[in-house]
Order: sequence, then structure tokens, then C-alpha cells
Amino acid sequence: MPLTTSKPIYGFEVFLASNGLLLQANVNVWIKKRWLETIKAIDWFGGNALDMKHTVETMDVLSTDLYENLKALNTLLNDPSDLTTKVIAVGGSKYKAAIVSLEGLSDQLLLKEQVINPIQQNTSMSVESLLNPTQALQDIENQMISLQVPARTGQWETIMSFLLSGDAVLLLDGADEALMIKSRDWPSRSIEEPQTEALVRGPRIGFTESIETNISLLRRHIKQPELMIMPHTIGRRSKQTLCIVYIKGIANSSLVNEVERRIKSLNLDYAPESGTIEQWIEDSSLSPFPQILNTERPDKVTAALLQGKVAILLDGTPFVLLLPFTFVSLLHSPEDYYERWVIGSLIRLLRLVAVFATLFLPALYIAILSFHPGMIPFKLVVSIAASREGVPFPAVIEALLMEVTLELLREAGIRLPKPIGQTIGIVGGLVIGEAAVQAGIVSPIMVIIVALTAISSFAIPSFSAGISFRMLRFITMISASFLGLYGIVMLFIMICLHLIRLHSFGVPYLAPIAPSFKGDWKDMFLRVPVTWLTKRPVFMKPGDTHRAKKR
Amino acid sequence: MKNELINEQMSNKEIVYTVSNMIIGFGILTLPNTIVKTTVSSDGWISVLLGGGVAILFAWLIGKLGESFPGEHYHTMVTRIVNRQAAHILTLCFTLYFLLFVSYQIRGVSTITRLYLFDNTPEEFIGFIFLLVLAYGVAGPSIALVRLNLLFFPVLVCILLAIVILNIGSFDVHHLLPVLKSDFTGILQASKETILSYLGVEIMLFYNIFVFKKKKATAPIVYGVMISTVLYLLLFIVVIAVFGSVVTEHTLYPIAELAKEVEVPGEVFERFEFFFFVIWLISLFCTNVMALDVAIVGVMSIFPKARRISIITALLPLMYIIGLLPSGLYELHIFADWISYFGIGVAWFIPALLLLMVKLKGGRAHE
Repeated sequence: MPLTTSKPIYGFEVFLASNGLLLQANVNVWIKKRWLETIKAIDWFGGNALDMKHTVETMDVLSTDLYENLKALNTLLNDPSDLTTKVIAVGGSKYKAAIVSLEGLSDQLLLKEQVINPIQQNTSMSVESLLNPTQALQDIENQMISLQVPARTGQWETIMSFLLSGDAVLLLDGADEALMIKSRDWPSRSIEEPQTEALVRGPRIGFTESIETNISLLRRHIKQPELMIMPHTIGRRSKQTLCIVYIKGIANSSLVNEVERRIKSLNLDYAPESGTIEQWIEDSSLSPFPQILNTERPDKVTAALLQGKVAILLDGTPFVLLLPFTFVSLLHSPEDYYERWVIGSLIRLLRLVAVFATLFLPALYIAILSFHPGMIPFKLVVSIAASREGVPFPAVIEALLMEVTLELLREAGIRLPKPIGQTIGIVGGLVIGEAAVQAGIVSPIMVIIVALTAISSFAIPSFSAGISFRMLRFITMISASFLGLYGIVMLFIMICLHLIRLHSFGVPYLAPIAPSFKGDWKDMFLRVPVTWLTKRPVFMKPGDTHRAKKR
Repeated sequence: MKNELINEQMSNKEIVYTVSNMIIGFGILTLPNTIVKTTVSSDGWISVLLGGGVAILFAWLIGKLGESFPGEHYHTMVTRIVNRQAAHILTLCFTLYFLLFVSYQIRGVSTITRLYLFDNTPEEFIGFIFLLVLAYGVAGPSIALVRLNLLFFPVLVCILLAIVILNIGSFDVHHLLPVLKSDFTGILQASKETILSYLGVEIMLFYNIFVFKKKKATAPIVYGVMISTVLYLLLFIVVIAVFGSVVTEHTLYPIAELAKEVEVPGEVFERFEFFFFVIWLISLFCTNVMALDVAIVGVMSIFPKARRISIITALLPLMYIIGLLPSGLYELHIFADWISYFGIGVAWFIPALLLLMVKLKGGRAHE
């Protein structure tokens, strides 16, 4: 919006302010003339954009005439159909006021009860107010409206941003300022259990699309003024609210600075989801691994904040970003802490096995069958060979075929409505698997391998991290088909090299392992009893290192 | 503004692991075989310890030299002690040694991998892939390569210990007897061979860039050598206890055969040596990638304007060709011996002399 580029009028006004009210009025007349001229200009050129810009530049501040203002507002907003304007008489005076709001965004009933009725039913007004519209506006704000008034301004730009966010604007005839009245009522969803991160044990609360609700959910957990919520506006056109949340004194200040620096460098039209922000601010776009975690669970965010991490909340999405993200936290789920430590530890080990199975199981199958049948017991080799009899393809084609089918089924299962999705599961999993074996396209062992891989990949708590392993699985399969075990080892080395080089906001991706922080190993692949976990993770260099006192 | 979360220092643990992993590279496969050629039954342990002692001495000297110049690498050290021309020459020798070392090892890896893992795949192709992964490794920052050891060295030790433990069933004490029957010259000759297996400490002369703490680096370096000495000793004794000295003498790669002997309870895996090979390959990769990285750092200190990636592209084909030059295992062994002698001269004796010069010059090194 080029609204701010109208320096001359500012100058004019400052100059005129010293010359008294009379001149002020003259200037208003002058602005009105210019305004009418430009309106004509628009008619002549058929809404030429250049002239439009010119109009906007002239109309920077409110005039004192109510109808001029309403007309100007309509033009500035390009005649929106959902703009509701209600002109009312202020009770006990001759003033006229207008309440302007966007219909679907603000609570009309609330406005009627708390703003329109009190103003209309007002009986008396002080003499001073009757003469001075600015004083009258003050009276309306203080005595009549019972809703919150966040701002009082004469700048069109501010007025428009409030209006477009769902607040109502009260314009008074004769006053060159307007009241913003907080009446936002955005359509929103109630708090539900997060679909993608369901737990057996743990709170059944998930974030919603409204950032106010989300912040309140966090505030409910951490009742401390140190919970810092730094608002930013993202999107040149969408003007969304984005909040960087951290706990002062725990989160490392250089981490917070880095996050703020990256967020401030963003310049985009619109951020449809926090995933867009994630991709803009992540360290390496080429890496297959996610460097920022997303979650729908307030308890997960709270725990992370208390570890010294930083959260990014974006208005319009229930997915909150958590950073820095490390490879180890990919195996963690909030449930590990809610269950007793043996269960938590064993489940984590199971997930580690799942990671390796997802990555290497089909590749090992290919390598063993094509290069090293001596690696497994002789009887097993014989039974595999017998089951593969009649399969026309080499192991790698067989594996690729089945793995691609699996990915297709998974993708189709997500897109379809829930009841049909289950049908697809049955059709795909049972029928296709069975039929493929019967038809002699793949061997039964291959079906087992594919099924195991699929189950393993879904056992990884973070969905996006699971995807990266599933992607890499295809590369390991291809390298195994060329060089067997040697190929797998070489690829494994490359993955490790990549992981070691990767950083998430300055924190090494393999943090407690390499570089090694022994204190953090207590909460890595194992989860020791909570009574031992008295220190926060050291690798994020938190300000306050102790989170509990030893008994 | 510098992000204080980024950690570019080498911790003591990283130094220990780096040194140990650098030493236990290729030598571990053939060590028992070379020792028993000149010693009787299990007497080779004296040679292992003697070699270890010499290595610890030089490790201590190298550590002391590094401590005198915290945060600086070999080229700057020599420039400070002697002058710039000497630094160029010595760094060039060092670089040459590491380049030859890597080319020999690439060849060795491909030969042994082909022997144990493949039937038809040509050695040249295996070596080529190894080289490509090496190139990927050295293209990144050096500190990442050091940290690779943190991941793999513990696994290597675990697998080696597993081989030892799972072989307990096949121990035969009679193989270890008689004790102390070898003549002194034989033991010394074997020691000469074992010393060559301890090459690798010298890497710390270059990775001294990541060590800033004064008076701290020597102890971890010495620990690193000690860990490898203990592992060598353990493996040597176990090999002799399982195979006996006669069989060992006629086995080319006794440790690999030892891994083959392992029988996993439940027979899930027919051949345990695959595990050994996987971790051995990875460990060798770590050794080589660090050596190559140091060589590149060396070249870059001589030609400061050259870009890292162009040095890599220039060096790799050269090393590939050098690695292919020796024909057959015998020539490869001679090649390896010459590189090792060269390495001991360049990387152990010259730094020791340099340390002597530092001590004679006194405090001037710290200016």
C-alpha cells in the first residue's frame, strides 16, 4: 500500500497546526476538492491504477465530514460487499456516528448490544462535548462503549488494518479521528485431540487454527512472565500474525536472535501454513531430513520450551514449529516421559530399530539375494530361493515394484474419505499382495519385507522425518542392487557424513552424539528415570541448567 | 554475530577416538601374520608392546609440539620454528605421504572387499566408488570428519570385542605355549613391523587447529595410542590362541578369518564376518577421509589461493592412478612398507626434531 508515501500533506498539516483551526478547516476543504477531482479522474480513465494510487495518496487522514469518510472508506476498500455500515444518532446530541465493520469477521450481535444500543440510548451529554466533536468521541469511548478500544487514530492505514482483521470502526461526524472497537469473531474450530499425533496416555488437547487460542493453551501450562511471546507480522498481503515463543532465561539468547533474524528476513505475500515458514528459514533446503519439528500438541511444545527450544506459532494453522531439531528427538514422543522409564526406553529402542529397518531392510534383501547369499543361514537361502521360483524379475525390480505400490497405497489412503480409505487398505494390502504372489510377480518373502518396512516407517513419531527415511530407502535399494553390502555401507557413510554436517539453527544435528555431550545421553536412546533427569539438555546451552532438584 | 551454539573445538574424547581410529586402520588385518613370521608362538606380544611404547613416545612428542602452538597447524608451526621455505617443503612431504597412504589404502580396500564380498565386480570399480565417497567427505568441513569417529569408533571396538568374546569357545591354551622362546633379533624385527601399524598419530599435527586449550592435548593423544595398543595386543593373543602360530603365519588376513570363525548362537547369521567387514570398511573410510582432508589442508597452506574443490578434483584422479600401479598383493605390500618408512621419517622424526628446536630456542615460539 503506498499510503505512507504522502509526505507533503504531513508537512502542510504541521505548518497549519500553528495557524489555528480556521486554516485547518480550509485545508480540509482543499483535500476534499482534490478528492473529488481524483474521483472524476477515475471515471474518465475507467479506474486507471495510476489515478487510484494518486487518490490514496491524497486520502491519508480522516476528514471531519462523516459521509466523505464513509465514501473514502468504501473506495479504499474497493466497494466490498461484506462491509456493513450503520449510521446512528448519538443520544442526547445532534451528532451522527457510523459503525463500520466487515460482516463475517466481527460479532454483529455484540456490536449491537455493547456499542449501538448504549450510544443510541444515551440521554445527556456535557456542554463541552456538544461543542467539541473530539471531546464527544472521548465521551463515547469512556462512557458508552463497553467493549475494548485498542486504538484511536485518524490514519486510514491503521483503520483499514483493524477493519480487515475483523474489528469495528466508529466514525463520528465532525471528528477527524475514529475509534477501533475490538469485536473480532473469526470462524474457528473447537479444541480437539490432534489427529496425527494421538497418544495412548497424555492430554487430549490439540492446537487450533486461531493463534489466540494457541497462545492461551501455552500460557495455561507455563504461568510465568518469562514466557516470551514476540509477535511479528508475516505476509505483505495476508498480514498474518506470527509469534516466536520462548522462555527467557532458559532459551539460549543467540538461538533466539538467530530465529528472529531469519523471521525478520522473510518477505513473502502469504504464508499458507507453518510449513512455508519452515522451508524459508531452515538451514539446508537440499537435505532430505527435516530441520524443524512441527507438532499439534501443546504438551510437546511446553516440554520443548522448558528444554530451551524456541516455538514459532503462525495464525491460521494448528501446526507449531519447534526448533532446533536434532536427529535424536526424531525418536522421541511425549509418551516416553508419561510412561514409566523402562517402557519409555524400550519403545525408543524399538523406534531406533524401526529407523534402521525402514532404511535398510529392502536394501539388505536385495544385497543378500543378489550378492551375498552366504550371509544368512543356508536353510533360509534355500527357502527364499524356492519361494522366488517363477518370479521373472531380479530382486531389485521386485523390491522397487512392491515398494512403489506401497507408497501408492499410502498416498491413496490419505486422500480418500475415511470409510473408503479402509477399504483401500484391505484391497491394497491383502488383495494386491496376495494376488501378486499368486500371479508369480513377487515372492512371499518380498511381501513380508515390504510390510515390515511399511510398519516400521509409521512407527517413527514424526511424520515428516518418516518420509525422509522412506525416500532414502529407495536410494539404498538402488545402491544395494549395484554394489550389494558394499553399496549399502558406502551410502550409510554418506548419510552419516551429511547428518554430521547438518545444523539446525547452529545446533549440530547429531547433537548429543557428535559432538558428544555425555550428560544428555540420559535422555537419548534410553530414557532414564525422571528423578535422574534433573538437568536440561546441555547441547542447546540453556541459561538455566537445572530443571528439577535432586531428592 | 557469531552463533555460540556452533562448536568448532575438538574435545578430548574426539582426540582419543580420532587417534585410535587413525591407527587401527588397515594394519589390523595383517598384523598377527607379520608378527609371527619372526617370532615363536605367542611371543609377539612383546613386539606389540615395544611398538606401542615407541608410538607412545612419538605421540607424546607430537602432542607437546602441538601444545606449544595451540590452534595452529603444521605449516604455521614450521614457519614459526624455522622459516616459510622449510614449512613449504615439510608440509609438501607430509601431504605427499598422506596422499600415497590414501592411494595405497584405496587399493587395499578394493582388493580385500573384492576378496570377501564380491565374485565378479572389478576392483577398479570398487575403488572408484570408495574414491567418490571420499570426495564427498572431504568436500565438507574438517571438523565433521573428526566427529565421524565419535559415531563409528565405539561400534568398531564393540564388534572387535564381540569377535573376541564369541571366539572364547575355540580358545586353545596350548597354542600360546611355549612362552619366551623367541630370540631377541626376531622380536626386534617384528617390532619394526608393528611400529608401522601405529602410524596415524601424526594427524594431530594438522588437527591441532581445533585444539585451543593449552597443556591439554598430549594426554588424550597418548590415551588414543594406548587404546589401540591394548586392542592390538588382545587381538594378537586371541588370534594365536584360536589358530596357533603356524596357521596364523600362513593366513593372509587372520582377523578376518577370526571373524569368520564366530558362530552366533541361534545361527541367525551364518557368517559374522559381514559385520566385521561393514565396520572395518567404515573405520577405514574414517581413516582415509581424515588423511585426505589433512593432505588437502596441507596443499591449501602451500597454495593459499587454490579453491578446495579444485584441489580435490586435481588430486583424486592422481591418487586413483597411483593406487592402481602396484600389480598384485606382493607389490602392494612393498608399496605399503615404503610409504610407512617415508611416513615415520616425515611425520614422526621431523616433528621430534622440530620440538627439539623449540625447546632449544626457548620461549620464542610463543611470541
